[in-house]
Amino acid sequence: MGNVFGRKRRTRVTEQDKAVLQLKQQRDKLKQYQKKITLQLEKERLLARQLLKDGKKEKALLLLKKKRYQEQLLEKTENQIGNLERMVQDIEFAQIEMKVIEGLKIGNDCLKKMHEVMSIEEVERIMDETQDAIEYQREIDDMLAGSLTQEDEDAVLAELDAITQGEDVSLPDVPKEELPEVPAEELERKRVKTQSEMLVA
Amino acid sequence: SEMSFEWPWQYNFPPFFTLQPNVDTRQKQLAAWCSLVLSYCRHRKLYTLDVMEAQESPVFNNKKISRKLSVEAIQVVFEELRKKGNLEWMDKNKTRCLIMWRRPEEWGKLIYQWVSRNGMNNSVFTLYELSNGDDTESEEFHGLEEWMLLRSLQALQAEGKAEIITMDDGKGVKFF
Repeated sequence: MGNVFGRKRRTRVTEQDKAVLQLKQQRDKLKQYQKKITLQLEKERLLARQLLKDGKKEKALLLLKKKRYQEQLLEKTENQIGNLERMVQDIEFAQIEMKVIEGLKIGNDCLKKMHEVMSIEEVERIMDETQDAIEYQREIDDMLAGSLTQEDEDAVLAELDAITQGEDVSLPDVPKEELPEVPAEELERKRVKTQSEMLVA
Repeated sequence: SEMSFEWPWQYNFPPFFTLQPNVDTRQKQLAAWCSLVLSYCRHRKLYTLDVMEAQESPVFNNKKISRKLSVEAIQVVFEELRKKGNLEWMDKNKTRCLIMWRRPEEWGKLIYQWVSRNGMNNSVFTLYELSNGDDTESEEFHGLEEWMLLRSLQALQAEGKAEIITMDDGKGVKFF
């Protein structure tokens, strides 16, 4: 009915499904045949008993022979049904195996694609580029740090020294007793000497 | 099994077997008849009814109180069942009908539950196997007539839960 508008719905029935169905149909037929023969056997058993009762031994024997033959048929049928059912199971299992392989294939393709993106050369290239970038950054750092000339650097160091000296000079205590008189001439001489010492520093 | 069927109280009430003139009473009476016919057919697992035969069936013929429903009244009850979607005529003269005490969708649901319970989605089955196979012997749908089975599967197909397969040699179905 879906065909009315010429748009056939995609079937989800595989060739294997059809094969399984065909086997199952054969099995159904055998089962029906089995039912029929079983019923017949039951009938004939009753009939043979009746014949024996009536003293018709020959006829009863003939019937029992026929019955025996049918029993063999029944046994064969049972085997055939078993064969068909095994075949059905084999096909069903093979279908499952196919699905597993399909799944593995998809997984494999996926891994391959991911590996293509992550080729060794590509990884090396990326690592190299990263290294380049690190070096580039270092250069920038150096350039920024190196913007002062050597002269500037020296001045900075001298300033640092001056600060350190001004801070860390400990002086002796001032004496408590009266200082002796110092001749003015000697005092003058000492002052000059101190000044010349300071200049040296 | 006829013994275990529980008749409703109306079954032993003589006026029940004569269609009532009062509209309200008649409506209630017809509803009771419909429910009785459906539960009786369900109990006996009947899928088709013949109007002439039905008249002699215990459901329309209560020998204990010597009352039977007339053919005309049976037709009225059947027509009511048809309106409710539980019955379909098989011929123009309305002598035989299909009786659906369970609608195809309900049967479909039962079958699909059995399939899912047994992990048989994605498997194919012959119709014979479903209604007559050893594996379904204890299921309610065992013995379901083929036309009814097919309708139930069509209902499942419409829901996308099954696909009916037609082969040279009869039909099959694949469940999803």
